[in-house]
Amino acid sequence: MNQNEVKIKIDGVECIAKEGEYILNIARANGIYIPAICYISRCSPTLACRICLVEADGKRVYACNAKAKDGMDVTTSSEEILEERKAIMNVYDINHPLQCGVCDQSGECELQNYTLELGIDSQNYAILDCKRESTNFSSVLHYDPGLCIVCERCVTICKDMVGDNALSTGPRDGAEIDKELKESMPKDAYAMWNKLQKSLIVPSNGTDQTNCSDCGECLSVCPVGALVSRDFVYSSNAWELKRIPATCSHCSSGCQIFYETKPTSISDRSDKIYRVTNEWNYVSLCGAGRFGYDFENSSATKDEKQFAKAIIALKEAKAIRFNSIITNEEAAMLQTLKKELGLKLINPEAKAFQSFLRDFESYRGETLYRGNYKEMMSESNFIISVGSALRHDNPNVRYVFNNIQKLNKGAGLYFHPVGDTLIESLGKNVTPIYHNAGLEEYALYLILDLFASKEELPKEIRTYLESFHKKSTKIVKETIMEDITETVVDEETGESKEVTKKKPKIVEKEVEYIENGLATLLNAPEGFDDIFEKMTAKADDFSMVVGEDFYVHPRAENLVKLLALIEKYTQIKIALIPPKTNSLGVALICDLDEKTDGYTIGYNENGDFRLSALGDGDLDMPALNQQEGTFTNMHKRVVPTNAALSYEGYELNDIMNALGLGERLSVDWTSKLPVRKGFEALSFDALPNGFTNAGEELRGYMLKQKISKPKDYEVEKPDESIQLKGDVAYRCNPQRQFNDFTNKAHQISEPFALYVSEEKAQSLGTKVKVEIGNISLELPVAVDNKMSGDVVKIPDFLSSKDVYSLFDKGRFKQVKISEV
Amino acid sequence: MNGDVEMNEKQRYITLDLGGAPMTPWCRFKRVVKRTFRIELFIGLWVTIREMFKTLFMGKSHTTKYPFEKMPISSRYRAIHDMLRLLESGHYRCIGCGLCEKICISNCIAMETRYDENQRKEVSGYTINFGRCIFCGYCAEVCPELAIVHGARYETASEQRASFSLFEDMLTPIDKLKEQKEFEGYGAPSPWADKNIKKTPLAY
Amino acid sequence: MDPLILGTIIKIVLVLAIVSALAGFGTYLERKVLAYMQRRIGPAHVGPFGLLQIVADGIKLLTKEDIIPQNANRFIFMIAPAVTAATAFIALSAVPLFPTFTIPEYFPLVGGAIVPSTISDISIGILFLLGVMGSGLYGPLLAGMAQANKWGILGSARTAVQFLSYEVITGLSLLAPIMLVGSLSLIDFNNTQIGGVGSWIIWQQPVAFVLFLIAGFAETNRTPFDLLEHEAEIVSGYATEYSGMRWGMFFIGEYANMITISLMASIIFVGGYAPLGFIPGWIAILLKVTFFFFLMLWVRASWPHVRPDQLMWFCWKVLMPIAVINVVITGIVVMI
Repeated sequence: MNQNEVKIKIDGVECIAKEGEYILNIARANGIYIPAICYISRCSPTLACRICLVEADGKRVYACNAKAKDGMDVTTSSEEILEERKAIMNVYDINHPLQCGVCDQSGECELQNYTLELGIDSQNYAILDCKRESTNFSSVLHYDPGLCIVCERCVTICKDMVGDNALSTGPRDGAEIDKELKESMPKDAYAMWNKLQKSLIVPSNGTDQTNCSDCGECLSVCPVGALVSRDFVYSSNAWELKRIPATCSHCSSGCQIFYETKPTSISDRSDKIYRVTNEWNYVSLCGAGRFGYDFENSSATKDEKQFAKAIIALKEAKAIRFNSIITNEEAAMLQTLKKELGLKLINPEAKAFQSFLRDFESYRGETLYRGNYKEMMSESNFIISVGSALRHDNPNVRYVFNNIQKLNKGAGLYFHPVGDTLIESLGKNVTPIYHNAGLEEYALYLILDLFASKEELPKEIRTYLESFHKKSTKIVKETIMEDITETVVDEETGESKEVTKKKPKIVEKEVEYIENGLATLLNAPEGFDDIFEKMTAKADDFSMVVGEDFYVHPRAENLVKLLALIEKYTQIKIALIPPKTNSLGVALICDLDEKTDGYTIGYNENGDFRLSALGDGDLDMPALNQQEGTFTNMHKRVVPTNAALSYEGYELNDIMNALGLGERLSVDWTSKLPVRKGFEALSFDALPNGFTNAGEELRGYMLKQKISKPKDYEVEKPDESIQLKGDVAYRCNPQRQFNDFTNKAHQISEPFALYVSEEKAQSLGTKVKVEIGNISLELPVAVDNKMSGDVVKIPDFLSSKDVYSLFDKGRFKQVKISEV
Repeated sequence: MNGDVEMNEKQRYITLDLGGAPMTPWCRFKRVVKRTFRIELFIGLWVTIREMFKTLFMGKSHTTKYPFEKMPISSRYRAIHDMLRLLESGHYRCIGCGLCEKICISNCIAMETRYDENQRKEVSGYTINFGRCIFCGYCAEVCPELAIVHGARYETASEQRASFSLFEDMLTPIDKLKEQKEFEGYGAPSPWADKNIKKTPLAY
Repeated sequence: MDPLILGTIIKIVLVLAIVSALAGFGTYLERKVLAYMQRRIGPAHVGPFGLLQIVADGIKLLTKEDIIPQNANRFIFMIAPAVTAATAFIALSAVPLFPTFTIPEYFPLVGGAIVPSTISDISIGILFLLGVMGSGLYGPLLAGMAQANKWGILGSARTAVQFLSYEVITGLSLLAPIMLVGSLSLIDFNNTQIGGVGSWIIWQQPVAFVLFLIAGFAETNRTPFDLLEHEAEIVSGYATEYSGMRWGMFFIGEYANMITISLMASIIFVGGYAPLGFIPGWIAILLKVTFFFFLMLWVRASWPHVRPDQLMWFCWKVLMPIAVINVVITGIVVMI
C-alpha cells in the first residue's frame, strides 16, 4: 500500500483506492453496484439525482461526491436508502410520457432500467404538468423537454469535458409542490423534486440555439430520450441496431466508437450506419467522430479491367502518394511495395512528423514521447499547448486541456498565433499567448525560462535567457487595509461608541521588477509575471502538448532540440499530437521519401492513377468503416477497428496478392507490423477492445518504448526575422472537418472556405481571392465566431485542392487577400 | 395414477367390456347366433335415416358452402396479419417501436420510421415477407399496442406474395373501421387485466 | 309391322335409354342420399339441386383420355367394360318392367304398337337372368387380369371368388319361391301375387327374401360386400387402370345390375307390378324398385364392409346351410 492509498470497506468488501477518490468510483472499480444517474466518470459530481445515496460510517452521504477516508465502512443499501431511492424514481416518473414504444432511448433508457430495478409499480405522487415543447438546439441537437429528467449530465459533460459550456439549466415554470409532502415524503426525494420542478435544460447563451462545436456528447450521455440527434430522431430503436466496436478514423485520437447499423430501407437490405455511440464514461467523441460516419465507398464493385490496369500502373509507377488516413496494415503493405517494387512513398504530412519524431527520439535517447494523454487528464494540473490550434487539430487534446482546468483545478498556457476565444473561456487560469507566426522558438525559450531550474541549464542558454531580463519599473495598484475610526450611535441605548474598522484602500505604487523580454516579444498579456505566479501557485504536475505547426516548421530541427532541452531541464512531460489519423503508425512503419516527379499512384490523393476510397478514383478501395485493421493513435496505442459495412470491391491486399506479395486477409498483416519499432507480433483477433469498470483501457496494446544513448546537439539561436507579418494564412480545418471523409458525411456541413474572425470578416466580402506565392485560390468567406485576431484559416480537408502543397514547409504563409 | 383416473373422469372416457375371444366351437357358434339376431345392425340403419331426416327437414346440415360461406375462425388462429386502427381517430395503431421486427424469428418483418411534420413518429414503410413468414405469432404477442395481430384471412393463394405484404394491404380499410374487431388471440390483454392495474393519482 | 315387334323394339330402346340414364341418375342419388345421411348436402351447385352434376360428370368421363397401359392385353382390356355393361342390359331383357300396354293410335309411326311387359317373355326367365348375371363376372375378371397391375389381379381374384360363391346363394334362395310358384317365368311370379299385399311371396318365404337380398348385394358388389374394388385395400381393384368412359361403363353396368336386382326382388317377393289398391301397377313397381335401390344406399351409409375371409365364411357356413334348409322345409311344406 502506498502512502496516498486508503483502505475502505464497501458492503463488507475491502477496497484499496487512492486517497480522495469518490466512493462511487471505488465501488465501480471493485464491481460493487451503486445506482447513479447524474454522475459521469471523469467529470465533477452534479448531485442532481441523489440516487447514489449510501451510508458511510453511519452517515448518509452521496457516493458520487463523498471522498474515501481510510477505514471507512460503506453500506450501499438499507431499507431507508431503498425507500429514498424508490421515492426518487417515483418522482422521476411523474408526468413522464408513457411513450416508451416510440421513444428513441427505449431499451437503453436509464429511467426505464431504474424504475424496473427498484420495482416501481405504482405512483404515489402527482403534480400539474407544464407545457414543454421540443426544440432543436443546433443543426444536430434535438431536445424534447417532455422527456427530460434534468439530471444535468449534458450540462456537466459540456462543461467539464468538452468545454463548450453550451448548456445550462433554465427556468421551468413548474407547479409548486404540495408543502405537506415535505413532512411525509423522503427528504432527498423531496429536495430532488423541488429542484426538478424549477429547471429545464436551455442553451447557456440566452438564445434558443447553442453556439457549440456540435460534438453531440450531450446526446450520448442523456439517460432518457430527451437529447437525440436530429438525424436519428424516430428513425430506429436501440434493439434494432447492431453495435460494431470500431475506432474512429478521423483524427489521431483514435477514440473507441460503436457503429450502429441496420438495413437501409425495406427495399435495400444492405446495412447502413444509423448512428455512432461511445462508452461516454471513458471516451468522449467530437462532432466528426459522432456525425461523420457515412463516408463508406458504397458503389464499389470488383471491376476486373480497372484492377488489371492498377497492377500495370503499379509496375510502371515511380511513387505512391498517400495520406495517413489508412490502417497500419495498409501502411505495412505500402512499405512492402516500396521494398519489393522500389516505389517511393510520398506522404508529406507523415514525412514531416516522421523526421520530427526521429530527431526528437535521437536527441532524447528515447523512442516516441513521454507524455500520456490519459495520465495528463487525471493527474496533471498545468498544461501548455504549443504549435496546435487545439480546437481544430485534435478535439480530444482540447478535452484534456479543458478537463485539467475543470477537474484538476489546473492552469493552462496556450501559445498560438491564432486567437481562440473558446480556449480562453476554458478556465480562469488559462492564459493565451498569441504570438506572431514564426516566433515558436521564442515560445520554447520562454518555457525554458519559466520552468527550468537555471542552475542546471547549460551556461550558454542561461546567459541567452538572461539577456532578455531587463530591470524596469511599473506602477502597481495595491490594495491595503486601512484602519478607519468612526463614531457610531447605538440605536437601542443611545450611547455613542468609537468603532475601528478596516477598510480596503487602493494605493498606486511604483515598483521595480525584472521585465521578461521574451514575454513581451510574444505579446504575452500585461503583467504576465504575476499571472504566471498565480497559475503555478498550486501546480505540481506539468505537461505539454506539441502540435503540427512544429513538424512542418521551417526550423523544425531547432524546435526539437529545444523540446529535448525542456524535457531534460524541467518537470514538463511532453506529448506530440500526430497530425492525421494514423500519422504515428505510418511514421513508424513506412520509410517515407521526399517528393519526386514521374508516374505517381495516388491513394486517396492526387496521382496519375488513383486508388480511392471516396468512390471517385480509377480503382475503388474500401473506406475505413468498411475495413478491419488497426490504427496507432496519439495515446501510443495500437487499436483495432472493425468493418461496419459491407464492401464489394478490391482492397489493397488483393493488389498485393496479384503481385504475389499478399496475405490471405488484410488483417493477417497485423502480426507482421515491425516489432523493432515498438509493435507486437499479435494477430488481429487477439486484440481486445474495451474498458474495465475502473476505466482502464483494454484496447489493442501499447507501443513498446526503448531507451538509447542521446545524441549530442547544439541549440541554435532563434531568428526573429522569420516571423510573418501582414496578411497571414494558417492551414487549419474547421471544427468537425478533418479530411475528404468527414466532408462526405451528410451531417457535417462546414464548407471549404476561408475562415476568419468576426472583426476580420468585416473587412472582407463574401468571397475572396487568396494568393499564396504565385498560386491563387478563390474561397468564400466563413466566420468562425470563436476566432479572434487577423490571421485567416485555409482548410486542407479536400485532397483535391492540394492546399497542403501550397503551404509546403510551415502551416503559416504570408498571403495576399483581395475581395472578389 | 390418480391423476390419470381423474383425467378420465373429467373427459368421460367409457371403457368397453369386450369380453374374451371365444375359445370353443360352441362359444363361437353362440357368438355367430348372437351377432346374427341382434338388432344392432338395424340401430345403424336407424341412425343414418334419422340423420338424413334431420338434414333434410330440420336443416341440420354440417356443410358450409365454403367460398360463399366461411366458418367462424378462432381468434388464436394465425393467418395473414392485420394492422389495426385506433377506433377513436382512425389513425393506425402502429407506433413504429420495431419490437416485431426484432422478435421475428424468420427475419421477415421490415419497417421504416421517420420524424414527421407533426413531431410524431411516422411509420413510413412496413412489410412482411410472406415467403419467409412462419406465422409463429410472436409479432402479435410482442406488440405493445395490439397494432399487428393475426387476422382470419387464411386464403393466401395469390398471383404474387406481395399482394399481402404492404402496410396498406394489412391495414383495416378506413371505411370498414366500424367492422374492426378487437383481437383476442395471443398478446391480447387478459380478461382480468383491469385487476392488475394500480391507480395513478392525478393532479387535474 | 307387327305391333308386338314394334312395341318390343320401342321397349328395348326405352330400357337402354332409361336404364343407362338411370345409372347416371343413380350416382346422383347415391351421392345425395349418402350426403344427407352424413349430414352433408351433396352436389348442390351444378343446376337445380345439383342435378346437372350428372351431365358434368358425363361430359368429364366422355372427354377424358382413354388410357390403355403399356403391358395390358389391349383387346381384352378394351372389351371388358363392354362385357359388364352388356350382360347387365341383356339381363334386363327378361325382366318385366311394368304391365303390357298399347300405344294409342293417334301417335304417329308407333301408334297401335303393343309394348310388352317383358322384352322377351321366355319361360325360363329366372334361369336366363341368373345365367346372364352370372356371366357378368367376366367383365371385372377379364378387366383385372388384362391390365397388368397387381391391384387388378387381386380385384379379379376377388371377383371370381365372390361372384361364384354368391351365385350359389342366389340360386338356392330363389329355388324355394320357384317351387311355390311352379314357374320360371317372372310374369307368372307377378301374376301369382296379384291379390294385394297379402298374396306377396315374402310372407311365405321371408328367409329366401333375406338370403336373396344379401346375395344380391354381393352380386352387385355393394357395401358391405364391395371387396372387388375396395380402395382401402386394393386401390380400385379391377378398375385400377381404367379411365374415362371405359371406367364409366363399369359404373353403368353396376347401376344397371342394381336396378335388375331391385326389380327381381320386387317382382319375386313383393308383388311386382300388380296394382296396389288405388296405386296403378307401374307406379307400384317404381316405388318398390326405388325402395330397394334406396336400401342399397342406406346400407352403404350405415354399415362397414366385411373382410374377404368373413365374406367366404358367411357365404358357405351361414348362408348356404340356411338356404338349403329353407329349400328342404319349403319342399316338405309343398309336398304336404
